[in-house]
Amino acid sequence: MKKLFGASAKMLYRDKQALFWALAFPVIFAVVFGLFDFEQTPEVKIDLVGETASPVYGAMEVGLGSIDTFVVTERGDLGASTTRLDDGDTDVVIAVQGSGVEVAYNETNFQTNQFAITAIERIVDRVNLAAAGVTEPTVTLEASGVAASDVSYYDFLLPGLVAMGVMNASIVGMAVAISRFREQKILRRILATPLAPIRFLSAQVGARLVLSVIQSALILAVGIFVFGAELQGSLLWLFVLVTFANLIFLNIGFAAAGRAKNPDAAAGIANAIALPMMFLSGTFFPTETLPTIVQWIVKFLPLTPLLEAIRLISVEGEPITAASTQIAALTAWVVASYLIANRMFRFEEA
Amino acid sequence: MNAERITSEVAVEVHDLVKEFPSPDGGTLTAVDHVSFDVHRGEVFGFLGPNGAGKTTTLEIVEGLTPPTSGRTSVLGSDSVADRDAMKNRIGVQLQSSAYFQYLTLEEILNLFGSFYERALPPEELLDKVGLVDKRKSLVGHLSGGQAQRFSIVAAMVNDPDVLFLDEPTTGLDPQARRNLWDLIEHINHVEGKTIVMTTHYMEEAQVLCDRVAIIDRGKIQALDAPLGLIHQLPAAYRIAFATSSDLNENDLKALPGVESVTPVVLGGFTFELAVARASDTLPAFLDWAKENDVQVDDVQVVPATLEDVFLSLTGRSLRE
Repeated sequence: MKKLFGASAKMLYRDKQALFWALAFPVIFAVVFGLFDFEQTPEVKIDLVGETASPVYGAMEVGLGSIDTFVVTERGDLGASTTRLDDGDTDVVIAVQGSGVEVAYNETNFQTNQFAITAIERIVDRVNLAAAGVTEPTVTLEASGVAASDVSYYDFLLPGLVAMGVMNASIVGMAVAISRFREQKILRRILATPLAPIRFLSAQVGARLVLSVIQSALILAVGIFVFGAELQGSLLWLFVLVTFANLIFLNIGFAAAGRAKNPDAAAGIANAIALPMMFLSGTFFPTETLPTIVQWIVKFLPLTPLLEAIRLISVEGEPITAASTQIAALTAWVVASYLIANRMFRFEEA
Repeated sequence: MNAERITSEVAVEVHDLVKEFPSPDGGTLTAVDHVSFDVHRGEVFGFLGPNGAGKTTTLEIVEGLTPPTSGRTSVLGSDSVADRDAMKNRIGVQLQSSAYFQYLTLEEILNLFGSFYERALPPEELLDKVGLVDKRKSLVGHLSGGQAQRFSIVAAMVNDPDVLFLDEPTTGLDPQARRNLWDLIEHINHVEGKTIVMTTHYMEEAQVLCDRVAIIDRGKIQALDAPLGLIHQLPAAYRIAFATSSDLNENDLKALPGVESVTPVVLGGFTFELAVARASDTLPAFLDWAKENDVQVDDVQVVPATLEDVFLSLTGRSLRE
């Protein structure tokens, strides 16, 4: 058995193409996402035009100045500023005339301007309130992010990339490898020896579990040491959860290989399962934004409880016990996927 | 035949074997149709037949790879189904066009397969048998067709089996590589004393290598005997071709002893071809007749019939159809 495991690991290590998809591909994701700065709000260039002496102008000047991302330039000529807006040299033009405030903005830059217009409205409201003599508003609103303030999008994303990478490599890798073994009649050749087929398959599974641990460690190392991601909770449980859930993905790989006539078809089936799951289960964004029916389906995909569980630990810093519902779901999936694989993949029919 | 090489002990027993597959149209397809035969220890036993005749299916049932629909097979007294694991330790199996792990070296593959058995031969000894010792660190993909085929035979021998099954061992090889493989198979049988059960659709291969040949077609054994025995069953076991510039009457030729038929020949420089029962009876009579009748015989060739002719006479079809 030791020889068999060693040989299986050797085969995996020497299959450079499979190794690329398992190791380099998710690391590329971790690097690309690490290079984006998701926390930065884009700068808004504002031209402020009007009677500098008027109290409204003064109040606007103070209000706009209090927002960090606004770059305010005071201009004397409305016509020149309108031209600058047309040319794209400025994003927003605010003209103060008496007690009226006119806002002109470039519609093409939708996201920036949504933010800018809302902020400007707030400032106008505050000016109005002050003019009406209200200094202490009756209702105050204090907004704070739901997640702890020091959790960045990248911190949220990184455990997702680990789960995605492992899922992808295991489903596709296992399906293609087994399908190739069958096409080359290696499974049949094994069947002609006294070796029990289950031992051969176990060695394959074992080698891939080891690969997935290396893969996870590599993605985490790039995220943490290169891009400064901060993970909470126990790293050990993160690995345990990913490795446990990997059994599901390997079973799915076997099932796909059982259905496919050749390695190309196996790759196609495996990708058709892995790709939608990668996006729908919330690797890149929370699933709350999906339509209700889709959300309901997504709940029952095996990647979803894995992502939830590892984020509970690594993002929210909860103990493993907090993820008991997700662990129960994963256990059910391990059993179910084994039964499915057992039904769809028959060693003897190889 | 070598009387000492072949014993009376039965190595492989196949009794009333039937294998049915569901056919695409919903019916059943009988791939093996009530087949029975014995292979003796020390023998090279061949299955000769066209593709789809049921050769491979029969072999795979004996090897324990496929369960039979009905009937019974055993190797060295171990039932192919009930005593499968005991049997597998004593047989070697080479599958038709099967590859080995593409990312392992020859040495690693032999080590790995050896670990599946109760006993195993060292890789160097195995590779030495087939002259591949210097390739022991190579991958299978880097071997030539003949080398890969030799390796697949030696890989089937890691457990030093008593009975070796070879499924179309020379298909796809060039004539030189095929002859090399024949030498190897002969060595394994004659020198190492292993019983060999093989399939082929090359009649020449069956004739050269096999002590006995079962001609199989459409799932049934049509004839089973030593190659020469099969040929001698034919009404015309030899052909005598000759060239002449004299005018001949075909009926005079037909009247010669043992002549079954007379065919005018267009190719190869010959004029007529006589199908005869025994060349040793007909040839002297033919030469005497030619002398007496002043027939100028420029060239004579005696060709024995082949298993191809046997197949043709048994099934009405050529092997290559």
